Amino acid sequence: MSCVYRFLLQLYPSAHRHEYGEEMLAVFREVQAETRGKGILRTGRFWIREVLGLLGGAFEEHFRSLMGSSYPPSIFLRRPIMRSEFRFPKATATLMTIILAAVVMAIEKATAIVNSVPHTGPHVGPIQPAHFTLFPTLLVILTFGCVAGAIGWAVAFALHRTGVQRLADFNPSGRQASGGR
Amino acid sequence: MDSLPVTEPVLLILLSLAKEPRHGYAILRDVREMSHSRVLLSTGTLYGALRRLLAEGWIERVSEEDASRGRQAYRLTARGERNLQQEVHHLKQLTRMASFRVAPKGT
Repeated sequence: MSCVYRFLLQLYPSAHRHEYGEEMLAVFREVQAETRGKGILRTGRFWIREVLGLLGGAFEEHFRSLMGSSYPPSIFLRRPIMRSEFRFPKATATLMTIILAAVVMAIEKATAIVNSVPHTGPHVGPIQPAHFTLFPTLLVILTFGCVAGAIGWAVAFALHRTGVQRLADFNPSGRQASGGR
Repeated sequence: MDSLPVTEPVLLILLSLAKEPRHGYAILRDVREMSHSRVLLSTGTLYGALRRLLAEGWIERVSEEDASRGRQAYRLTARGERNLQQEVHHLKQLTRMASFRVAPKGT
């Protein structure tokens, strides 16, 4: 059975595998020896736990190596404690209101421009796909992607910042409302 | 307080290392005993947590002469000990407040 474990260890990034692989395998063998002969249910649970733990761990390590030091220490928190409940932060609500207002204003402006243009010229049919060339289309898509990414990042940043600050300011006793922590 | 989120498994690992250095298997067993078999860590979860704690400088490896790669012991650093004390203090405050809020009625 160690060969299955060894195979699953291959899913980890090589650096992690080299540093902890042998140690993990040794611990696994000890736990496996302890579980042996204690019923199929317990053995099954042990294997499910180990396989899920390895898959989750490997995914997390790869994700961490991709994201670098900015990656939050754990996104796979099991039974998290001392966490304030999620609340929609005011900063994000304000940001979304501004975005919504900008979109509404842009639509109204566009409508006004369309209405102000006299329809005396020759009839212009619907825009044909042939009028689009590759480069401007890609440019528009890229610009749209950048803007959407920037808005997404701003929302994520606001959420993260607000959550972290609330957690840091959390004072269960409520005695030090303006505490120096 | 350092920014590493302290989950229940991480807290139990730190508590396991609070008294003495332990190897991976000893940590697993101790966590299981402390939590009355409620928290059963897999090796993947354990070593993910140990790697993070090592990276954050909360724990360190114990250099034993007879330590092979498969029997590496870990212990708390001064930083880890300080953070653990703060976390325990935080939990005490929380439980004290909770005991006032959910005191049995009619007492």
